[in-house]
Amino acid sequence: MKWLDQPAEHYADKLGADAAAGTLPDVVNVSPDLSHPLAAAGMLMNLDKEKAAAAFKDEYTPEAWQGNALPGLAGTYAFPWYLNTGPLFYNKALFRDAGLDPEKPPKTYDELFAAANTMARKSGGRIATLAGTPSVEDFGRYGVRLMNDDATAFTYNEPKGVELLTRYKELYDHGGLDPQALTNTPEKAGQKFLEQKVAMNPGGAHDLETFKKNAPGLYRRLGITDAPNNTGKPNMYVMGLAVNKQSRHKAAAVAFAHYVTNRKNQEAFAHKVAVFPSTRGSLEDPYWTRDDGTDEGRVRVASAKMLKGAVNYTPVVMSDEMKTVLKNEVAKALQGKKSPRQALDDAAAASNRLLKRD
Amino acid sequence: MLRTSGWEKALRYVLMLGVLALTVGPFLWQLSTSLKGTTEDIYTSPPRFLPEHPTGHNYAEVAGVVPVWDYALNSLRVAVASVVTNLVGASMAGYALARLRFRGRRAAGLVFVAALLVPVESVVIAQFTLVRELNLNNTLTAVVLPGAVGALNVLLMRNAFAALPYETEEAAVIDGANAWQRFTRIALPSVRGTLAVVAIFSFMGAWDDFLWPLIVLSDADNFTLTVGLNFLHGTFTQNPRLVAAGTVIAVAPLLVMFACLQRYFFRGVGEGAVKG
Amino acid sequence: MRRAPAPAVRTHRATSPWLFLLPGLAVVSAFGLYPFLTTVHQAFTDARTLTPGTWVGLDNFRRMLDDEQFWVALRNSGLYVALVVPFTVLLPLLLALLVQKPLKGVAFFRAAFYTPVVASVVVVALIWGWMLDDRGLVNGILRVLGAGPVDFLGDAWLLLLSAMALTVWKGLGYYMVIYLAALGNVPHELHEAAAVDGAGALRRFVGVTVPAVRSTMVLVAALSSVSAFKVFSEVYLLAGPTGGPAGQDTTLVMLVQRTGTGLAGRVGYASALSLVVFVIALLLMLLVLRADRKEDR
Repeated sequence: MKWLDQPAEHYADKLGADAAAGTLPDVVNVSPDLSHPLAAAGMLMNLDKEKAAAAFKDEYTPEAWQGNALPGLAGTYAFPWYLNTGPLFYNKALFRDAGLDPEKPPKTYDELFAAANTMARKSGGRIATLAGTPSVEDFGRYGVRLMNDDATAFTYNEPKGVELLTRYKELYDHGGLDPQALTNTPEKAGQKFLEQKVAMNPGGAHDLETFKKNAPGLYRRLGITDAPNNTGKPNMYVMGLAVNKQSRHKAAAVAFAHYVTNRKNQEAFAHKVAVFPSTRGSLEDPYWTRDDGTDEGRVRVASAKMLKGAVNYTPVVMSDEMKTVLKNEVAKALQGKKSPRQALDDAAAASNRLLKRD
Repeated sequence: MLRTSGWEKALRYVLMLGVLALTVGPFLWQLSTSLKGTTEDIYTSPPRFLPEHPTGHNYAEVAGVVPVWDYALNSLRVAVASVVTNLVGASMAGYALARLRFRGRRAAGLVFVAALLVPVESVVIAQFTLVRELNLNNTLTAVVLPGAVGALNVLLMRNAFAALPYETEEAAVIDGANAWQRFTRIALPSVRGTLAVVAIFSFMGAWDDFLWPLIVLSDADNFTLTVGLNFLHGTFTQNPRLVAAGTVIAVAPLLVMFACLQRYFFRGVGEGAVKG
Repeated sequence: MRRAPAPAVRTHRATSPWLFLLPGLAVVSAFGLYPFLTTVHQAFTDARTLTPGTWVGLDNFRRMLDDEQFWVALRNSGLYVALVVPFTVLLPLLLALLVQKPLKGVAFFRAAFYTPVVASVVVVALIWGWMLDDRGLVNGILRVLGAGPVDFLGDAWLLLLSAMALTVWKGLGYYMVIYLAALGNVPHELHEAAAVDGAGALRRFVGVTVPAVRSTMVLVAALSSVSAFKVFSEVYLLAGPTGGPAGQDTTLVMLVQRTGTGLAGRVGYASALSLVVFVIALLLMLLVLRADRKEDR
């Protein structure tokens, strides 16, 4: 067996080409939105149905095992691997300049919108609070129902979703969002936060290193908080290891996938690359519960705490194309080319059409 | 030849320098950015064109993050192989199309014209399936194959051979030389310039290709430079200096090669290689 | 094109031409035509990346008509041809005239003007992205001049125009070389006669140069129309994979890439889109070449 690392960008294209050509590796690293089409095409092993694999179920936290289950396909198709949840970084100095309490970052969307409006007004529109447009996770955290129960239709165009987008539109008009919010990539957004043009930006523990090195000034005034949330359930990203159903070495593949995701290896991996283990009991380890005084430690402990009760808001059936549809319709609403209601209706309708073709 | 007046000469040089700034300037700006140290502000206004304390640090750091030089070697292998296959394949096909009469010549020519019009993005998956059936996926051979004989190169060679006067081969025909002998001994040496053009085009094409190697290669050991640099793109956009260093490494070998071959290249152009 | 005068007797064995053509035809058929035929077939199915799909007739084409993104993409690709081609026909010709005179150092300039062609489009787009950044070189210079900052990378139209400028810039050297080759065949006596007549530079250009290189201008127009219509990399890299604000900068080939790749890729629909790209590119080329032939009569 061979370990192959892949760049994140174009990973889906790569998997698609491999799968279509029948060269899927024995064990594949997948997030649920990637495992869904593979499993639907009968290419992944249903772990719940495979005795040798199902036996390991109790080694993982129930949320993580559940997080790799796929609606409509009756089963879990990947061993839970690492989890991640990002802190939200903010610039304390910019908060202070705008007359906001730098020690009390917004916790809910109401507070976020209020703070962003103040920031825009006080800075004369020079400082935006966020650099990006709302993503499907934002809709989820705002409390919008994203899909119906059997995951056959998108429902984010319900009144609550329209309300969120309407408020974002006001924010954009008042300078609460970066003027380039419609085109910013995550990297670009990070750069604007670094240049102190944007007051808040989501990130991960590894960003601390960048701040320390490239923007020591910013690092001294860095605040760390959780993404605003109306549901009480933070967002998390789930990564799993799936086993190729057509594998010629099925037993070995199961054993390998389990070996990589067992408690010892997950913890070691998480120590190295600042992610979080999905094995039962791991997050009770002092490494993830006790603040060791460093900033990395602070972020780590705060994030680990968030993971309890966290959910993966992104619907697993939402393909990249459907994400692009939502992103583009949201942009049209922010530009004022469509009403928020119309934009979300169109996005949901287009996505549902894509969904039906499966 | 008419004498060029003094002021016309001056005007020409001014214009040429202006165009030079537009075409080469961006590359020099990138080079300058890549040589600026971490402590130097790269966003100054007015822009500072020369680094204050030039440093090679960014290059060392890029090489530390991704094995740039291994990737460059892979790219070189692919590019050289592509040059060889294109020279051989395109000149043979071009010769047949231009100098041999046979039934089906028009159809064969049309095949190459049609191939020019197919958008690569739409046939990549079908190409991959084929490579996989040949059991070549994840090899550098597979990276070379689809571009091994470029349709455009075939047409370029056809035009070059067609431009040769018929008499060139007449004596050889009378001497009883067969087609292969005429091709290698007489026709090929007369189109050296076009061969240089084809060599440069195929080297550039192979060196610059991104989408195809990305799909075919799955083993990091086999990555070519463009695929490898893709790692950099996501990771380091926050530091334009590093990205700049990466791009300089990707461009430099091409520029050196072109500088070495440009004499033959422009001679090939004079031969009428790139005419319709 | 005129053929080389044919020999009266056949000078080679019947199989020889095919042996010469074998490597080229094999590669081009296997990696160009065969995948293309697959694409044609799939355009009439609902195939996806992981499922083969069934015959659906003209469904994909019918769906295109209601697809808002398709019309946006068609508009952008069309605009690309309309705005890029005039520049790629004219500017490189002027450039070729500039470096044609055997002045000292002209060889250096010629080679230097070719630099953007040599560099990979990925690299070039990275450089332009860095220059057009709101704190980049261009805005830095504008600020010194008291203008700007201009949000090149945030506005849908500016993004598209920037990408077009990039395409023109990258093509300058390439088409310059084609013109140089053609100009090499223009007899100097023509120019000299005109100069002796006292014709000004502009009149000489319109009266002597343009007619002499007209067929090359047509060729450049045909080549650049096709490649402008198939534009992908420049826009993809500058505007991002989703095609700028609200996807307003998506081009046809970007749409092909977006719908046809990934695990849930709609291969059938993407194939239908490719077919449209192919047919329009072919028509463009024939149109340009036809226009030329008409003028000839």
